Amino acid sequence: MTGGIVVGGWEFVVAAYGITFSVLGAYAVSLIVRVRGGKGREEN
Amino acid sequence: MMRQLFAATHKDLLLSWRSRAQASAVVIFGATTLLLFSFAVGPNSAALRQNAGGFLWVALLLSSTLALAESYRAEIEQRALEGLLLLPASPRALYYGKALANWLQLLLVGIGLVPVMIVLYDPGSSNLLPLVGVLALGTAGLSAPGTLYAAMASQARAQQVLLPLLLFPLVVPVLLAAVKASSLLLLGDPMGQAGSWVLLLAAFNGVFWPLCGLLFGQVVEE
Amino acid sequence: MAGPSNEKRPWVGYGFLALAVLLLGTGSYIGLAVAPREHYMGEVQRIMYVHVPTAWSALLCFTFAFVSSIAFLFRHDWKWDSRLEATLEVGVLLNFLLCMQGAIWAKPTWGVWWDWDPRLTTTAVMLFSFIGILALRRFVDDPVRRATWAAVATIVAFADVPIVYFSVKWWNSLHQVQSTPQTVDGPMITPLRVNAFGMLSLAIGLITLRTRLAARRLQNEMAPPLPERETSSERVAAAGGEA
Repeated sequence: MTGGIVVGGWEFVVAAYGITFSVLGAYAVSLIVRVRGGKGREEN
Repeated sequence: MMRQLFAATHKDLLLSWRSRAQASAVVIFGATTLLLFSFAVGPNSAALRQNAGGFLWVALLLSSTLALAESYRAEIEQRALEGLLLLPASPRALYYGKALANWLQLLLVGIGLVPVMIVLYDPGSSNLLPLVGVLALGTAGLSAPGTLYAAMASQARAQQVLLPLLLFPLVVPVLLAAVKASSLLLLGDPMGQAGSWVLLLAAFNGVFWPLCGLLFGQVVEE
Repeated sequence: MAGPSNEKRPWVGYGFLALAVLLLGTGSYIGLAVAPREHYMGEVQRIMYVHVPTAWSALLCFTFAFVSSIAFLFRHDWKWDSRLEATLEVGVLLNFLLCMQGAIWAKPTWGVWWDWDPRLTTTAVMLFSFIGILALRRFVDDPVRRATWAAVATIVAFADVPIVYFSVKWWNSLHQVQSTPQTVDGPMITPLRVNAFGMLSLAIGLITLRTRLAARRLQNEMAPPLPERETSSERVAAAGGEA
């Protein structure tokens, strides 16, 4: 490291945010799909 | 309550004595694990000596899963658990009886492993009596939650993997403290830190012996 | 909050998710584009705007799991078991992300993926603890046992968290200085706060939906009673399940 200051690093930031939100987003979508899928059967 | 406790402990110890071949197999398993660690690390006597405490406790932890699962064999194979619960003994007495018996067994396994450790890793043999004290506190920390979890695991599917899966993360503080204390006792403790680790072990036991005893009733009642 | 009935649409859940998208989008935008660069850690410090909110939400999830466990053991109401299932799963997910964010943060900062920071290490141990409980739920078929044992295990695991934290802190104190930034000032507070509410909203939304799924599965498990035997789960359901 250069004199205690971290240089650059956007790729790490993108990785952190990207993975976090895509995993959470995928999970949310999967939940929504499952909730709606089951509800269709319930209403029949 | 004390009479029930004594009876429960006695029963479990008697059962273990009757199957002492299995108990000695646990010690041999532990010793084999210690041997494997030497092979994993290589004939680097400095590294082995430095980590002797760590290897001892990991071996003991692995052995504990066998010993704890074993302690419920009678209950499962002969459906003795239902019989025990029909007796006017409280589940709490059953729990503490079994936990105490398991503790004693684990302590004996630990004591059995100490000479193996000394021979293989050469950490010196100073402070052996305090080391037994650390073994006592550490194995107690394994036995309390272990007896509770083994009760669940023995009645669930995939029981052999479930017990370590539940137990190992929980007893991380025991592992840390016991390894630190043991290493300091064996290799030298210039700043007298071993006492604080012993205190941590005592605190862990202080939390989990009551807590697990309280919850055991929920685990075995139908 | 969602209950075992499936007649109404899950507006609450969807609502919280929508709010979350709004808040997290705003907060992250501010954090990434508007907030100033930190002097020593540069751009990498911006990870904090998602890392800290994730940490708070994960901890809240597990705290609610703990509360649900106690509530279930005292009241034997199935909705608490559904909540336990949901908060465990969402909590584990957030926890996993936390460890990953921590590693991604550590690599450019310390040069290693893992530096045994007490908070992050405690998080890792918690991750394994609670995954174990999810595994326990999967390996037990009887719903009553599954609920009871999961509740017991959650209480024990949660009680262990502070002990693990102090042990690791002590264990590491000889080698380590506090590695995550402590003071947050001025323009950095806003994105942090917005994202914190956003993450919380997300967690609540996910938990709400997941609770509904858990309740639905319970109903399916206990719905068709076999005439030749009465299982213990039906006794419980008849006694207090629909309360």
